[in-house]
Amino acid sequence: MNNHIVKTYGDELDQLSAEVVLMGGLAEAQVADAVDAVARRDVALAQSVVARDHKLDELEKDIERKCIRLIALRQPMAEDLRKTVAAMKLATALERTGDLAKNIAKRAIVISEAEPMTPLTRSIERMGKLVSSRLRDVLDAYKGGKVELAQSVWASDTEVDEHYNALFRELLTYMMGDPRTISACTHLLFMAKNLERIGDYATNMAEHIHFELTGEDYVESRPKANTLSNLE
Amino acid sequence: MDNRRSVWHIIPAGSVIGVGVLIAMSFYAPLHPFLIFVALLIVAYTMFKYLVLLGDAEEKIRALKAPEKQVKVQPEGPSFQEVLRAVPDPVMIVSGHEPDDIAARRVIFANAAAQRIFHIADRGGPLVSAIRVPEVLECVDEALFGGISGSVDFEMSGGARDQFWRAFSAPLPMENKHDMAQRLALLVLRDETDSRRMERMRADFLANASHELRTPLASITGFIETLRGPARDDEKARDKFLSIMGAQADRMGRLIADLLSLSRIEMSEHVPPSGETDLPLAVRDVVDSLTVIAQQKNVKLRIEGPKPGLYPIIGDRDQILQVVQNLVDNALKYAPQNSEVSIEICLDVTLPQAVALSDGKAAKLVLLRPDRNVHDYYARITVRDNGPGIKREFLPRLAERFYRVEGQKSGDRLGTGLGLAIVKHIINRHRGGLVVESQGPVSASDDDILERDGKVTALPQIAPQTFTAFSAYFPQSRAFGTAETPRLVVDAAASLKDAG
Repeated sequence: MNNHIVKTYGDELDQLSAEVVLMGGLAEAQVADAVDAVARRDVALAQSVVARDHKLDELEKDIERKCIRLIALRQPMAEDLRKTVAAMKLATALERTGDLAKNIAKRAIVISEAEPMTPLTRSIERMGKLVSSRLRDVLDAYKGGKVELAQSVWASDTEVDEHYNALFRELLTYMMGDPRTISACTHLLFMAKNLERIGDYATNMAEHIHFELTGEDYVESRPKANTLSNLE
Repeated sequence: MDNRRSVWHIIPAGSVIGVGVLIAMSFYAPLHPFLIFVALLIVAYTMFKYLVLLGDAEEKIRALKAPEKQVKVQPEGPSFQEVLRAVPDPVMIVSGHEPDDIAARRVIFANAAAQRIFHIADRGGPLVSAIRVPEVLECVDEALFGGISGSVDFEMSGGARDQFWRAFSAPLPMENKHDMAQRLALLVLRDETDSRRMERMRADFLANASHELRTPLASITGFIETLRGPARDDEKARDKFLSIMGAQADRMGRLIADLLSLSRIEMSEHVPPSGETDLPLAVRDVVDSLTVIAQQKNVKLRIEGPKPGLYPIIGDRDQILQVVQNLVDNALKYAPQNSEVSIEICLDVTLPQAVALSDGKAAKLVLLRPDRNVHDYYARITVRDNGPGIKREFLPRLAERFYRVEGQKSGDRLGTGLGLAIVKHIINRHRGGLVVESQGPVSASDDDILERDGKVTALPQIAPQTFTAFSAYFPQSRAFGTAETPRLVVDAAASLKDAG
């Protein structure tokens, strides 16, 4: 697997990427569970998501420490350096993803007290599924070293944007129709925004993975849906 | 053991010989520089070998011991590994050293099913790269370090199809007496998608049926009350009411038929079809059966694409017919009088081409995306009508069951709201994809305002041609190498520009 003269060096690098994948699995589960908690109005699940968030924080710190140690002791070059830096950046992005999932779970607890709004939570669920699948693809690309997969995730961010815009419009109609739902709808709106941010982090991660694998930056700009004009 | 000893003995021997030559030469002056060089070379080479071996001696020893072990265990008949390899459920043996060391948790054995489903290489690999579901990892840890066997349910979304698995883990006795830190655990997984799916579907069916049938049922009961009471002798009203009741009963019948067929499709959704079907032929058949309805509306059905009978795609014929039927039916519903519905078939479309964003103002959304890197080529069918179009914000919910776009009239033929849901599930079963593209009516928006010389001027209104196009694509078993290069849906944008 690794062809370093000093075996422990290669081991350390492997350990690093294994920990990032582990963290990715945890973040994935957090997002999926948070969205599930919203859809099923499951307070216990939401609470467990909130309680589990510290694990991600610890893992991030751990990965960061290991990266710094590796850079200080081994002075990695080229591919190894990119690997190390990518691990650090992915850890940060995954930690943020976890935070956003925690926020969704917290809001799920709040809106579970209000009347159920099935069509809206279903839209959130659909968006959550989409974002989860992007996260999964990104992590698959990372662990398998697949550039094309990372690239395709990177290129398909507009779908999340479309969902976000549609949900935004839907929520507006709902709130205008019945002002009593405003507080719950606002929570849902923030949830949608959080999911959209998670999608953005997935795109960022795809960029980091691309850099790690090829050593080249993206020069072209990412495709974007023409968002603001649709939001009036 | 013998191998190992010989390795350790050769190395000092090499250096002893080298040094010996040096000493011997020092008695026979003058020294020949070449001989010194050779002697030093021998010493250096053996030292280098020695250092390298020191580095991964343990690994070498383990590797050397492995075949020996196999010989010892070999009973008469198949070995345990061969037996496990034949088990249809994924089975893995995981090794671990310390609780902190995640990378050291490796899959050291995976049977054929595990290798296929979790993409594990023949020689194993890190556990996290096979499964990264936290619950399963915890379960394995408990077996490795706590010696507790347990089981856990988890969900794994494989593409558009959710899969439910149950994982069992159990500690295994230590294999390696020299390496006390190494621990082993067994991990067995079982696919429970079928039973879970059944459960969920029954609940869904009941909820949908009871909810959607209530409206027509209420209207029928209402009319029955009226016919019993005030309108008992009113012949004109009776005829009218009876025809409404008949329409509602028809609707209920259609709804139940659609719900049942949706259930059937969902049931087999995770089992990919194995037969082959001719897409152009299916399209021709559907068009033949729909010409009567098309003629009533004075809508022309145009087919573009290769001749039938030459290019079979992977698919279940009945289901592909249903996809085409539902899409064309839908297009006919929204197409205005005296217009044209075009059905275009393209073969040998690659995945990026199939989902590529076309430019232009039309809104486009991928409703269903196939797993990546499974098939190389797809056959695409695009059904396009010049109806009123769908606004961008309504697109994401299109394939949801019972969803109706606000303010959209589907004419006198009321649908059940399940047509596109059925299409989506069938395509999902075929591992294909579905893309919708639509140009809705455009009001004056930011796009139409030009800033010129500091003055903001509004462009003259151009009414763009509204349309809706659904593209479904199915995997092909191979490339056909058709002469015509597949065209993207960019034509839509081109025609828009022409119109402007």
